[in-house]
Amino acid sequence: MPEVRIIAKNFMDMVASMQAMKLDKLYENGFICEAILRSLPPLAKKYVIQMLHIDVPVAAKLLEEWVLPDGVSKHRVAIDRLVQLRVFLEAVDRKNEKTYKVNPTFQRSLQKLLVQGGTLPRESMPSNITVRLPTLENLEAYALEQWECFLLQLISPSQVEKPLNISSSLMKVFQRRILSHRDKEAPKLTESGFQFLLMDTNAQLWYIIREYISNSEERGVDAAELISFMLELSFHVIGEAYSINTLTDFQRNIINDLADLGLVKLQQGRKGSWFIPTKLATNLSMSLSDSSSRKQGFVVVETNFRVYAYSTSKLHCEILRLFSRVEYQLPNLIVGAITKESLYNAFENGITADQIVSFLQQNAHPRVAERVPSVPENVTDQQIRLWEADLNRVEMTEAHYYDEFPSRDVFEGACDCAREWNGLLWEDSKKMHMVVKTEAHHHVREFLRRQK
Amino acid sequence: MTSAPSKLYADDVSLLVVTLDTNPFFWSTFPFPFADFLSQVLAFLNSILLLGQLNQVIVIATGCNSCGYVFDSTSDKNHGSTTGTMPALYSNLLHNLDQFVARDQQLASPHTPGTVPSSLLSGSLSMALCYIQRAFRSGPMPPQPRILCLQGATDGPEQYVAIMNAIFSAQHSVVPIDSCYIGSNNSAFLQQASYITGGIYYKPPQLDGLYQYLSTVFATDLHSRAFLRLPKSVGVDFRASCFCHKQTIDMGYVCSVCLSIFCEHHDKCSTCGSVFGQAQLDASAADRKRKA
Repeated sequence: MPEVRIIAKNFMDMVASMQAMKLDKLYENGFICEAILRSLPPLAKKYVIQMLHIDVPVAAKLLEEWVLPDGVSKHRVAIDRLVQLRVFLEAVDRKNEKTYKVNPTFQRSLQKLLVQGGTLPRESMPSNITVRLPTLENLEAYALEQWECFLLQLISPSQVEKPLNISSSLMKVFQRRILSHRDKEAPKLTESGFQFLLMDTNAQLWYIIREYISNSEERGVDAAELISFMLELSFHVIGEAYSINTLTDFQRNIINDLADLGLVKLQQGRKGSWFIPTKLATNLSMSLSDSSSRKQGFVVVETNFRVYAYSTSKLHCEILRLFSRVEYQLPNLIVGAITKESLYNAFENGITADQIVSFLQQNAHPRVAERVPSVPENVTDQQIRLWEADLNRVEMTEAHYYDEFPSRDVFEGACDCAREWNGLLWEDSKKMHMVVKTEAHHHVREFLRRQK
Repeated sequence: MTSAPSKLYADDVSLLVVTLDTNPFFWSTFPFPFADFLSQVLAFLNSILLLGQLNQVIVIATGCNSCGYVFDSTSDKNHGSTTGTMPALYSNLLHNLDQFVARDQQLASPHTPGTVPSSLLSGSLSMALCYIQRAFRSGPMPPQPRILCLQGATDGPEQYVAIMNAIFSAQHSVVPIDSCYIGSNNSAFLQQASYITGGIYYKPPQLDGLYQYLSTVFATDLHSRAFLRLPKSVGVDFRASCFCHKQTIDMGYVCSVCLSIFCEHHDKCSTCGSVFGQAQLDASAADRKRKA
């Protein structure tokens, strides 16, 4: 069975896969270097800071000397990542030893950022021009509302009262992997769609942005330029107004899309219009890192399999519905129960037990989050995982059945041939029956044909 | 005395509280100018903030008459730090530092000429711990705190009790105290502080490259420390100060009730009031001598 997985946090892989020339050009911008630096694993960050002011190549051995035996794997991951992103340039010196050197462009940009500080390409507008700026709370509420509205429109367009004006072609791009469109049927969530819903907001945001960027080439937009603008945007100050006029035409097109996603709020005054970055935008660079998201949860799971979710959001209700039976809804509380049926439903949709458990743990209400474990063990280990294991008792393999062999020699030859291709599932040498995996089927068939 | 077990951290978000020695008597006699020192430290603080959006840096100035907060990367006044605009950090910190030094000078009390008054390390350690305690209570996911002491002036034996108390409370709340001592000899207080709390004590051999030392050794977050071989101190000076004359001593008398330390025999403990026995002076004194 092919495993469909959304790897949401590998935006950096996308950056890493860019051509060296383009990458070096990106690194001319200090903010991009900063965003890339922040996305690195902790050990890699430390190496960069440590080597930032060293101009000569450093022997790989010298770096390894710092590492304790426990950290060897982490060290390797860190170095691999750095080389992949061309932050470290690998070389071999005269003594045939591996050396590392910080990418000179990256180094220069970051040094400049450290010593002189970075200046954004645009300054925030003075407060006498901008009027009725939203408060930070309002802005955050606006961003979340916009994002949830977007998500709801993404998964069930019919439920949305006032649809966003995202072009339908763009929406289709986002839905490509999340919804499956069968002819004449209502669109259904795919396996990856369910998984998408269970991710945290930052991961979801990156998934969408990634789709947006990977689709950019089709729309005739330069991906590198798009990435650099996104990363730059994440360093703007939340709640400050920036004039639209400072943007290029290219960026102006993008900012409209971003406004629909809730990354920025657009406002218009008497003297021009401006955009205000929200928390979602400034989180862009932060959410690149693997550090666990730090937000307040809302779910309490009791040992009797009841789920209490302190939330007013329709989206949360939809998500809970994926794997539990929602029993009743109060204005600020959703009460449900995890049942065998509801879980089987979820498993059928391709959600795994681990995903459900990690969703419950990540979104645990602060009251229970302090406890260890935050979700009762009898719910997680004994039931959710057990029920999943229940479903996996039978494994299906496509296979072909052979019988009526002319002689024992042919039968044994066929068995050996199947074994050779690692495709023999079952044999009965007395009655001369065998079952061969589909992958090995044509090899065995060839073999038998040759025997004739 | 065992060094504290270090907690295991899942990520590298850190809260760094730096105590900065501004003792004018020390800096005026020290060959390395304060301005150069400060510029390297500022670059280091920047790089900490650069490493992560959630990282916090607090700077506490250690004067010789007072201590004060001079920089807090989370305060609203310098929202610049969250966006990475460094000039905000520099100007803010320098402005506050100027004010602090001027205020500290006004409080100056006459001291005996020829001696260098010590910096109030105990005060700034306590302030750092107070700040960290507040951060612990701030939410469900407090950042991982550590203290970095940038100290130059020699230890003030009169602060012994206060400093040890700060060290033990740091140990209790699992806050490592890193120390970067730039003065000429080693600092016994800081050696003990780092040893007991599981921090790093390091004395840079060359001050020109201070930034490199700071970024190589002290920029390591608590999460990464589990995987790296960091400098270990060769020997720790465990000597204590006596409570009566505030002198560092190798051998002394210890009250059997409250463990106060004295350099000479007393009839009565000045801390808890216990009356000491008179007889077998020599024998009991030998018993109670303490060499740590």
